[in-house]
Amino acid sequence: MAEKPPLSDLELDDLFAAKRRTAPAPAPALMARVLADAAHVAAAQTAAPRATAAPEGLMQRILGAIGGWPGAAGLVTASVAGLAIGLATPEAIETLTSDYLGAANAFELDDFMPSYGGLFEEG
Amino acid sequence: MDLALDAFSSVSDELLLVAFGNGDMDAARALTMRLTPRALAQAARMLGGDRAEAEDVAQEAMLRLWKVAPEWRQGEAQVTTWLYRVVANLCTDRLRKARGVGIDAIPEPEDDRPGAEAGLQDAARARALDAALAGLPERQRQAVSLRHIEGLSNPEIAEIMDIGVEAVESLTARGKRALAAALADQRAELGYEDG
Repeated sequence: MAEKPPLSDLELDDLFAAKRRTAPAPAPALMARVLADAAHVAAAQTAAPRATAAPEGLMQRILGAIGGWPGAAGLVTASVAGLAIGLATPEAIETLTSDYLGAANAFELDDFMPSYGGLFEEG
Repeated sequence: MDLALDAFSSVSDELLLVAFGNGDMDAARALTMRLTPRALAQAARMLGGDRAEAEDVAQEAMLRLWKVAPEWRQGEAQVTTWLYRVVANLCTDRLRKARGVGIDAIPEPEDDRPGAEAGLQDAARARALDAALAGLPERQRQAVSLRHIEGLSNPEIAEIMDIGVEAVESLTARGKRALAAALADQRAELGYEDG
C-alpha cells in the first residue's frame, strides 16, 4: 500500500489558520475572575503604604530619645561650645589648675572669672 | 467592555500595564480582553485541551502580570513574551505533576457558528490538528503552536522557551514535518485532494 504524501506547507498553513479561527473565546466567568484579581491587586497596592509603615530606624529612635530635631540642635550646639572651650583653654582654668598643682595658697576673685584674653593675643 | 477595548486599541500592552500599575482599572479591562484569550489558548494547547486546568493557568498567569505591573521596567521585555513564558512555565509544572494526558482527553472544540459549513470544516480541521499536535513531543508542540498559531517570531519563542533561536527553528521544522506526515492519511477528511 503506497504511503500518502505528507501535507504541503500551504495545507498545513491552512490548518493553522482554521485553528486560529476556531479558537473559542474565554468564558465570561474567566474574564470576570481575571478582572476581579486585578481589582484585588490594585486595592492591595494602594493600601500597602498605610498597612505597612516603614519600621523606625536607628536615627529616628535616637532623635526620639533626645526630644526630636530641637533636641539634636541643642546637643550639637553644646558639643561645639565644649570643643571650643577645650581648644581655647581659658586663663581662669589655667590659673587655677597651675596654682593648685603648684600649691598656691590664695586666689583672687578674678581668678574665678572666665577670660579669653589669650585668644586675642597676637601669636 | 467592547467600548473599553476600542478606546485602548492603539495603546501598547506595555503602556496599559504601566497605567494599571498606577491604578487604572480601564487599562486592566483592556489587557484582560487582549491577553486572557491568548494565555488561555496557549495553556489549552500545552495541557492537551484540559479546559478547566487551562483556565486556572490563564488566571494565574494574569494574576502574576497584575502583581508585576508596578515594577514593570519599560523597554526590557514584551508583555506578551513575558506572559507566554509564565504560561509555559506554569503548564510545564502541571504536566510534570500529572503526566499522561492522552489524545482521548481532548474535548471537541466548541463550534461558535453552528450550521455554517465553513465553520464545520474549520472545526474538523482544528480538531485534526489538535490531535496531531498532541502526538508531538512537548517542546515541538509548544514551538510549533507559538510560531504558527500564535504567530510569534523565532527570537520571541526562544525567549519564552529559554533556548536558542536555532533550536527553535529546528523544533518547528521537525514539528511541522511530523504534523504533515501524521495528517497525510486524513487528506480526504480535511478537504484536501490527493496531489
